[in-house]
Amino acid sequence: MSAEDGVGRERRLALNEDWAATTAGLVLLALVLAKILPGWLVP
Amino acid sequence: MAEVETRQRSQVWWAVGGVVVVVVLGALTRYLEQNVPVFTKGTWLGDIAKSIEYPVYAIALGLLGNAVLTGLGFRDRLAAGFRTEFFIKTGLVLLGASINFAVIVKAAGPAIAQAFLLITLVFGFTWWLGGKLGIDAKLRALLASAVSICGVSAAIAAAGAVQARREQLAYTASLVIIFALPSIFLLPLAVDALGLSAPVAGAWIGGNIDTTAAVSAAGALVGEEALQIATIVKTTQNALLGIVAVALTAYFAFKVERTGEAKVSGKALWERFPKFVLGFLLASVVATIFLESGGDKTVITTVNDLRTLFLILAFVSIGLEFRVAPLREAGWKPIGVFASAAVFNLLVGLGLASILFANFNG
Repeated sequence: MSAEDGVGRERRLALNEDWAATTAGLVLLALVLAKILPGWLVP
Repeated sequence: MAEVETRQRSQVWWAVGGVVVVVVLGALTRYLEQNVPVFTKGTWLGDIAKSIEYPVYAIALGLLGNAVLTGLGFRDRLAAGFRTEFFIKTGLVLLGASINFAVIVKAAGPAIAQAFLLITLVFGFTWWLGGKLGIDAKLRALLASAVSICGVSAAIAAAGAVQARREQLAYTASLVIIFALPSIFLLPLAVDALGLSAPVAGAWIGGNIDTTAAVSAAGALVGEEALQIATIVKTTQNALLGIVAVALTAYFAFKVERTGEAKVSGKALWERFPKFVLGFLLASVVATIFLESGGDKTVITTVNDLRTLFLILAFVSIGLEFRVAPLREAGWKPIGVFASAAVFNLLVGLGLASILFANFNG
């Protein structure tokens, strides 16, 4: 893997991680507000 | 072909192992944070134990895990599972739900003004000093972006924009973590010593510490209001990342490398915009509407507990990611530039936060 490929891979990973974190955060929020994820389940 | 597949499968298992390490240390953090004050109650350690917040346990356990795994020779293979950026961004989206949208709207003006001025001044200073010391233009772009915007994620965006080498990115990321780690503890101490109000303290921390995870750790040590303002300020800086990355792409294409080829388009800007900022704003809007339409307040406590869990995982990952080795290879000049820029950021940031957030009432 060349140095430029390495940077490209890091960038793609960062972009995917950004979307993944946004989705995970919003889905968790929705689950809690809808009371599907109850308080006792969160340590 | 089969060999490549086997290697990729093995990398995935090591990454899963890394995530397991983070989760186990996170669970231990939660256990210590909740039980150490109970165990030490009534002893001479009781008061100290009560004042130690979860970021301290998380970072200490991360560093300890780092030392043990490095000693065992597993650390580098497990490192793909130390996903600081994912954990912190998920935590910050959830944090959005605990901030009334009116507070974000009220803080937006001073936060944007502070972010714009700080990024311009600190980026300019770092670029200028790096040039004086003869540092390569690509490394200067990475250092200046990291110190002025948002640490590792800014360095990654800048590395893509200027087509930097992988070792330059690894080196900048190491510098960011090495400087962020002591700041997490030193800035809250300085806040106390200077007697700063919570909004000014939050704005100072948010505008100063490079990496978003470390901003949250320092903000949490100062208190909830400081954490909220620090997050709003840091999120604003994150939002400006796309503009700087696109400007760097154009500058390097036309001035440094003179290829004349640059993708300066709305698409490029959107590609580099940190999407978690939208999640943070949306979470605040949803939670504000939920509460104002008579929703159950106790569910927000559950959201806050979830947020703390993700912040703990991010802080553990900071400790696990800490590495000194890449610094030895690059020499003192970039370290000198980064350190000078950090001091410059500290002073200018304190001035701006004191002026812009002096009369802020959340």
